[in-house]
Amino acid sequence: MTVVNLQYYAQLREQAGVNGEQVTTDATSLRGLYDELRVRRGFSLVADALKVAVNAEFSSWDRPLREGDTIVFIPPVAGG
Amino acid sequence: MSRFELSSVEVDIARQRDQLRHPQSGGYCAFEGWVRNSNEGKEVDGLSYEAYADLAVAEGERIVAEAMARYGVSDARCVHRTGDLKIGDMAVWVGASAPHRDEAFRACRYIIDEIKHRLPIWKKEHYVTGESDWVACTHVYREHEHEGHDHHHHDHAAPFVPDYSRQIRLREVGEAGQAKLAASRVLVIGAGGLGCPVISYLAGAGIGTLGIVDGDRLDASNLHRQVMYDARDIGEYKAELAARRVAALNPAVNVQVWKQPLTARDAVDVFRQFDLVVECTDDMRSRYLSSDASVLSSTPLILASIYQYEGQMQFVAARPGTPCLRCLWPQEPSPESVGSCALSGVLGPVPGVLGAMQATEALKYLLGLPQPRAGALSLVNLIDLSVQHLAIDATQGCEVHGGCVEVARRALDRLSGEDDIDLVFDRLDDAVVAGFQLIDIREAEELACDPLPLAGAMHVPSAQVVQRADELQEGRWLLVCASGRRSGHAARLLRDEGVPQVYSLAGGLNALRVAG
Repeated sequence: MTVVNLQYYAQLREQAGVNGEQVTTDATSLRGLYDELRVRRGFSLVADALKVAVNAEFSSWDRPLREGDTIVFIPPVAGG
Repeated sequence: MSRFELSSVEVDIARQRDQLRHPQSGGYCAFEGWVRNSNEGKEVDGLSYEAYADLAVAEGERIVAEAMARYGVSDARCVHRTGDLKIGDMAVWVGASAPHRDEAFRACRYIIDEIKHRLPIWKKEHYVTGESDWVACTHVYREHEHEGHDHHHHDHAAPFVPDYSRQIRLREVGEAGQAKLAASRVLVIGAGGLGCPVISYLAGAGIGTLGIVDGDRLDASNLHRQVMYDARDIGEYKAELAARRVAALNPAVNVQVWKQPLTARDAVDVFRQFDLVVECTDDMRSRYLSSDASVLSSTPLILASIYQYEGQMQFVAARPGTPCLRCLWPQEPSPESVGSCALSGVLGPVPGVLGAMQATEALKYLLGLPQPRAGALSLVNLIDLSVQHLAIDATQGCEVHGGCVEVARRALDRLSGEDDIDLVFDRLDDAVVAGFQLIDIREAEELACDPLPLAGAMHVPSAQVVQRADELQEGRWLLVCASGRRSGHAARLLRDEGVPQVYSLAGGLNALRVAG
C-alpha cells in the first residue's frame, strides 16, 4: 500500500467536490491509480485526456507510485 | 419617402415630429444640435455649413435606414442645416419613434453619431476676433457638439497627450522601454473575459498597434466578467466595441479590427504582421490554430484559459526547442470535455486575473524583461490562491512527431481541407430548402428548454453521433448545436470516418437568433 497526496484541477475538482485528498492505494502506477479514482470519484475524463504531474513535474502514466508522492491531475480547459 | 433632408432654412420641428407619429409607436425621442459660443478655446459668434449635397443626402438616407434596421424603430428622420447660423440656432435635428423608448434613444444616438462621422459637410466658424476657419466635422463631433451640454469639457479641447510617467519611472522600463512599446504590434484574439484586461492594459501602456479579433456580439451574460462593456452595448460586435474603448482610453494606439475569426488560410499571414499574439478566446480550436500559426510564423503567443475558479497560462516562444500547445496536449480535446463558461459557469474576476497575467507577460516580453516561467504551464487556483508552474519538456512533445513546425503544418493543411464544413444560414428553413437534413446534437436537457424552431430534425447527442457514421453515408447532413463548436467538432470526426457530406451550422443556434 502506498500513501500519496492528490490535487485535482478544474473538471476533476468539480466532480470530486474537493481540491485534493490523501489516499492509500494498492495501485502501482499512475494509470492504475487514476483508473481506481475514476470508479470511486466518478471522473468522466479518461486518463489520456489529462496531464499528470508528480512532485511538480509532468510525468508519463506508467510511472510507478512512491510513498509520499504529490500527484496533480490536470484536464485541458477552454473558458475565456 | 425621404427621411433625411438638407435645409437652408430653420427646421420645422412640429412638421418633422408629426411625420413620426405611428399607431405602433409608444414614444418619440429627438436630439437637437445647437451652435455654441466657443470651440477649442476660441469664442465663436456664428458659423456656416457647406454640404456636398448629392452625397450628403444619399449618405444621410443610408444612415437613417441603418438605424431603423438596427434598432427596429417604427420611423426615424433627420434634418441638417446648411448656410449661415448664429449662436443658439439649431444645426441638426434627429427624431425616432418606436414601440419602446430604448430603441428610440439608441436610434437617435446612432444617427447623430454617424451623421457627424460620415456626412460630407464642412463648417466654417466665425470667431469674435473677426477671423474664421474651416473645421472638420468629425473633429467637431468629438470635442464640441457631442459634449456640448457638459461644461466641464469646454476646456478639454487640446489634443490628448498620453502620460506614461508611472511606468516609465520603473527602472526596467524608462524612456527606452516606452519607445519599444510604442513600436510594438500585438494581436489580441478574443475580446471577452480574458481579452478585456489584456486589451485595456496594453492600450493603456501605449502599445503602438493593437489588433483585435472577435466574431461575437456582446450578450447580457458577458457583462459580469467583460468589464470594458456597458449594458447599452448588448448586441454590438465586441471587436468594434473594444476598438471604440481603446480609442477612448488611449487615442495614440493604432487599432485594427477583425470581425470574423481567423482561419487556417489567413492566420499565418495575419500573425506575421504582429510581434506578439495573445490568445483570449473560449474556443479550443482557436487555441490550436493560434499555436500552429505562432509556430509557423515564429510569432510568440501567450495562451490562457479558465474554468470556474481556475486558470491555465502558457507562453509559446515559437523558437526551436521550445514547447507549443501541441507539445502539451497532442490530442485536441472534444468540446464536451473542456467545459465552457456557459455550461460550467465562471466567477467574473477569474478571467480578469488570468487576463491581467497575460498582459503582464506581454509587457515583460516586449520590454525584454526576464520571463523565468516561460515554457511552463502555470496553474492558477483562485480558491486556495495557489500558483503552480510545471515545466513542459519540449523533447517529449512534438519532437517525437517530427517537430512543432512539421506538426503545425500538417494540422493547418488538414484544417484547410475541411474549411467547407462550417456553413452559414440565417434560418434553419433555408438549410432544409437547400436539401440538408438536420441533426440536433445537443443534450436532451438543452433541447427541452430550447427546442429547435422547426420539426423533422433527428436528435443524436454529440457523444454518440460518430457511432452513427454508417447511417450518414447517403444524404447531406447539417449538424446543429448551441454555438457551432460541438457540431463543428463532430462534423470533422464524421468526415474522418468517411462521411462525405456532413456540415456544421456556423455559430450554432445562437447565431440564428442574432440574425433573426
